[in-house]
Amino acid sequence: MTWNGASAGMIKSTTKVICDAGPIIHLDELSCLDLLSDFQEIILSGKVSEEIKRYRPSALKREGLSFTTLTQNISPDELLLTICRIFALDAGETEVLALMQQNPQAMFLTDDASARLAAYQMGFRVHGSIGILIRSIRRGHRDPEETVRILAEIPLKSTLHIKPALLKEIIIKVKTEFNL
Amino acid sequence: MRTISTEVPEQLYKKAEALVKEGWFRDEKDIFYEAIRRFLDSHQSELMEKFVRDDVEWGLRGND
Repeated sequence: MTWNGASAGMIKSTTKVICDAGPIIHLDELSCLDLLSDFQEIILSGKVSEEIKRYRPSALKREGLSFTTLTQNISPDELLLTICRIFALDAGETEVLALMQQNPQAMFLTDDASARLAAYQMGFRVHGSIGILIRSIRRGHRDPEETVRILAEIPLKSTLHIKPALLKEIIIKVKTEFNL
Repeated sequence: MRTISTEVPEQLYKKAEALVKEGWFRDEKDIFYEAIRRFLDSHQSELMEKFVRDDVEWGLRGND
């Protein structure tokens, strides 16, 4: 695949993302939070915003990036509450899934396996930090070499958990894809 | 069985304690065992790998 960053990166995506705390924290740890500015809107629930403020307050203050925090009372219905209990999801994840129910066209960003599984079951589009990092090549926001370097830094710079063998495989895949 | 020692937030422990007092569980140990079992059920290695692989494909070839 040939990378043509300049042409791909000009048009902003029309997709809105609803974020769990994980991707915001992990992308910020990797100095890649700017990648979310490619989306039309970055929506957080009140509880997710609180969680980020507690663990990574600087993430919400990045220049050029605005978050929409929906602080109104989001009341999950009984079915959603049951699903969330089965998947052992916390209050923030439950609130985010309730927001997804209200905005089913949005994309849900999470790095939590249970939350992702629950979201899949509910029919939502779901991706995580690794997807956002690799998407940045396709969207022209990072070049392939830079992305490979960022991927390699995940265990050193971030709290994102990934099996070393799998990470190595991903790096090889990206390198192969772009003839690096 | 292995014995582990760990710290839990006071609020979390109180919730567990309340469930025991109400008679839902024999003791707090039972609750933490059940919580870990459930977490491990939904965090299976194959599933987490599948999610990451899906993300790589989407990252490379998605259209959004």
